[in-house]
Amino acid sequence: MSTTQTPTEPAPAPSVQRLARQRSLWERTNKATVVMAGVTLVVFVFFAVADSAFLTFANLSNLATQVGPVLIVGVAMTFVITAGQIDLSVGSIVAFVAAISAQLLVAGWDSSLVMVAALLMGLGWGLVNGWFTAYQGIPAFIVTLATLSVVRGLALFQTEGFSVPIASTTFVAKLGTAKWLGFSVTAWIALAVVVVGLVLLHATRFGQYVIGIGAAAESVRRAGVNVKLVTMAALGFSGLAAGLAGLLIAARLGSGSANSAQGFELTVIAAVVLGGTSLLGGRGTIVGTLIGALLTQIIANGLTLLSVSPYLTPIITGTVLVLVVWINLRGRDLAWFVQRLTRRS
Amino acid sequence: MAEDLPVDQRGDLLVELAGITKSYGPVKSLRGVDLTLRRGEVLGLVGDNGAGKSTLMKVLAGAVQHDDGEIRVHGKPVRFSTPADAQAEKIGIVYQDLALCDTLDVASNLFLGREPKRGPFIDRKAMHEQAARILADLHVKVTSTHQEIGTLSGGQRQTVAIARAVSFAPDVLILDEPTAALAVAEVESVLRLIGEVAAQGVGVILITHRLQDLFRVCDRITVMYEGQSVDDAAIADLDIEKLVGLITRTPQPTRTQPTRTEGSRA
Repeated sequence: MSTTQTPTEPAPAPSVQRLARQRSLWERTNKATVVMAGVTLVVFVFFAVADSAFLTFANLSNLATQVGPVLIVGVAMTFVITAGQIDLSVGSIVAFVAAISAQLLVAGWDSSLVMVAALLMGLGWGLVNGWFTAYQGIPAFIVTLATLSVVRGLALFQTEGFSVPIASTTFVAKLGTAKWLGFSVTAWIALAVVVVGLVLLHATRFGQYVIGIGAAAESVRRAGVNVKLVTMAALGFSGLAAGLAGLLIAARLGSGSANSAQGFELTVIAAVVLGGTSLLGGRGTIVGTLIGALLTQIIANGLTLLSVSPYLTPIITGTVLVLVVWINLRGRDLAWFVQRLTRRS
Repeated sequence: MAEDLPVDQRGDLLVELAGITKSYGPVKSLRGVDLTLRRGEVLGLVGDNGAGKSTLMKVLAGAVQHDDGEIRVHGKPVRFSTPADAQAEKIGIVYQDLALCDTLDVASNLFLGREPKRGPFIDRKAMHEQAARILADLHVKVTSTHQEIGTLSGGQRQTVAIARAVSFAPDVLILDEPTAALAVAEVESVLRLIGEVAAQGVGVILITHRLQDLFRVCDRITVMYEGQSVDDAAIADLDIEKLVGLITRTPQPTRTQPTRTEGSRA
């Protein structure tokens, strides 16, 4: 073996390079996400053809603003669901932060302080969820079901159910109406959150451990990772995102109400699951969540434009959700089926 | 070459256990176990269910604390209070459930908890290259380091788990039933891997119920019976009937005294 003629450093064996070679783009993509992207495109084209008002810049900008809060919380929820947890309390946190932020502005707090307070309130509730789930071992479903009730209850108790108006002279109110390149601040922030989510989930240890915990928490723990801290951080992240969404919603509406964002958690979870993130944990996709959030809001937006009865919207959204989750769960069989068809022919 | 000398004269004892005892309340799990392991040796640890094999290995891996007796690693007395202590003494263990994450790829599993980083980000290129090198060195058969663990066969998962343990550069590697529930061809690849690990100078302790595997890879057998080490024999001196006799303690016209091994089977 020492009689090789080449005097240069031996290159890594070809088998090493072959082993480490990146798989093709198609092999790497989440098939459920591809299906959803197709469905979203079909729905988009359908509304574009069905109503001339749909494919206007004004409506698309409006759509982006509507998608914003769902997307912001959806990105954080992707981490929670990928870690095998769930957060049902995000709608209540949105309402709480919206209402209390408005009250703080009325009480004369400066906008900058209110914005910091809004984020801290969201993060605080998220950490409460995370601590009970990760360190006390109570299932997240139960913990966040409880905070869903408590947090909105506190907001209702505090505001006695009244909507609290935000003076249009405050910076927060101006933020709600500000636009840049034709799109609202909410839309831009949502885009930034998507980028942060992408990097965090796919390029950092935190993301790696979130996926690992969803797949096999015990394996990750034995690898020396602080599983409890990572789990609490994921739920803290979704609380923080809900706080941000609450502030942006209050800013846009010009008022904070304890009754806002009813059922918001279901829209968010639907968007995440539609995108291809596994409800069983261990598999998450931020791009999928982006697509899922777009789909749910395109349906809502398009149906409104078509003047379909507003009572029909939840029915259609729910039907799409079931259909898509069905495809999601059967995705493997479907892929296998397609493979068999292509191989036989 | 040192390999040509009888094992005893090489002076490369890795681990010596002497008189290890462990009780769980009134239940005496271990009632005095002696065991030695040398560099580059594959030691089979056999005994019936409940003989205390797994408890003994948990003691050596720091997962369980023994009551009495002495553990010496490289001749130095040690006491492990956590698995991390055992890891610091370069003792690695692969448990039966493997501790892998199904939805992460091979490289991510190999480096779980110690991913190479560039700034705040995981250096995936470096991680996959290092993983490929580890796997190629051990001739582990996977198609790609990008394969998800969940898509691998049982044997491939086992070899990845062993490769992960080996990548910590242990002196001692404990394998708990690595060939249980594997297809025949997969057992072969795991046994070959064990041989390669030992050839790198690692002392391997193999717990298994598949006696035929012991004859394939082991140099020496330590037999446990009701919490005690009762026999220690070179594999060359045994056949399968004698070994079954040692495990079940049925009278055999062979040795009854623990014997020190004379040479390795190589």
